[in-house]
Amino acid sequence: MTGWETSERVLESGGFESRQRVLVPEPVVEASEAGARTLGVTYWQAVDRFTRGGVRASWTGGGGNLKLLGGATLLTFGSPELSFDGGLVSCRHAIRGGLLALRAGGSVTLAQRPEGEQQELSVTVEEYLPRLAARAGAPPWTGMFYAKVQSPFHAAVSRRYFELLLRSPAS
Amino acid sequence: MKVTVFGATGVVGRALLPQLTGHELTAVSRSPRDEPGARWVVADAATGEGVAEALAHADAVYYLVHSLGVRDFEEQDRAAAGTIAREAANAGVRQIVYLGGLGADGPDASPHLRSRRETGERLASAGVPVTTLRAAMIVGKGSAAFETILGLVKRLPVMITPSWVSTPTQPIALDDVARYLAGVCGNEAAYGEGYDTGGPEVMTYRQMIERIAALLGRKPRIVEVPVLTPYLSSLWLNLVTPVNASVARPLVEGLRNPTIAREERIRTLLPLELTPFDEAAQKALA
Repeated sequence: MTGWETSERVLESGGFESRQRVLVPEPVVEASEAGARTLGVTYWQAVDRFTRGGVRASWTGGGGNLKLLGGATLLTFGSPELSFDGGLVSCRHAIRGGLLALRAGGSVTLAQRPEGEQQELSVTVEEYLPRLAARAGAPPWTGMFYAKVQSPFHAAVSRRYFELLLRSPAS
Repeated sequence: MKVTVFGATGVVGRALLPQLTGHELTAVSRSPRDEPGARWVVADAATGEGVAEALAHADAVYYLVHSLGVRDFEEQDRAAAGTIAREAANAGVRQIVYLGGLGADGPDASPHLRSRRETGERLASAGVPVTTLRAAMIVGKGSAAFETILGLVKRLPVMITPSWVSTPTQPIALDDVARYLAGVCGNEAAYGEGYDTGGPEVMTYRQMIERIAALLGRKPRIVEVPVLTPYLSSLWLNLVTPVNASVARPLVEGLRNPTIAREERIRTLLPLELTPFDEAAQKALA
């Protein structure tokens, strides 16, 4: 696993975009529905592992909730949208709300795509409106919790996710 | 082909035998039997007794044996698989077909799933090509995992469940597993290969409980609690379901990890139409 990169920026819309990625020599998942689903399932497993079960995804027919200690709903997600087209394999969840979202909107996408002779594994959060980030015009310290806790936490989970994917490759 | 089936009296073995008509079948049991469709022989993979005789002249061997419920099941399974591997090599067997567990490759595999993986490795240790199919919960009458869920649904109007009820899994119908197992028999493309065999739907155990309950005309209330250890869960299951705690505990430990297919190569090799969950459950409930 090489090429670890993490970046974050605020879009003109006010939404946040966050991206983490690594490069691996071979595809980690197959280009199929099962492969795309594996990306998603492994990500939620990484959240569970990283927090030692403190934050877990709980799924129903219409989507999932990310719950803190089985109680508070941090984020709610839509059903996985699985895609495998050409070299791209991805699992996207729409963000529908929760305590950490200012309002419904944005998505998290787990993907594998060719990058030269290697494969890129990525976690991309797009158009997310974090409740804890500083609002436009507000003093920067109001976004301290997001900047110092939530954002690094997300990057660390992504890193754990990449490690978990690589430790249990497809047959 | 001459085919020997170890574990022929088990849930999967019984479903497999009718799928293997056309082959010259030897069915292995630990006690004497005489049922139509196969030549029945007595052998015990754990002790090695009768194994060489059961494997004589066999082209392919199905290994559907496990020691779940025994205290040192991991060691017993390793030893039994080693015996089969050795004797199969001695007998000139061309293929061993093994049914392992989905999710067994992960770093956090439970002892049960780890044992299933080690059994597969041990079966391959003497050089006979092994075809491994991996399945999550098998939906069929008598399947320990299915009977556990069914026991909960039938007996409890309110369930206090641990967080594993939110773990995704991909249950597969017993008939589909049997058809996949039969389909790889003598298929050289499958020699030395492993395949994930998931059912057509991914769901959480909670969803599975709700769907089985709906088929039974029930509507249990499920209360999920964050702390309930596998040990406590197994004692609870022992109390309220027909499944023994020694069987339930290894199963429950495995429920913490997702058990979904990571690849679908089996669907290219054997393009079967898979049975929907509700249809498989309905059949198991009949």
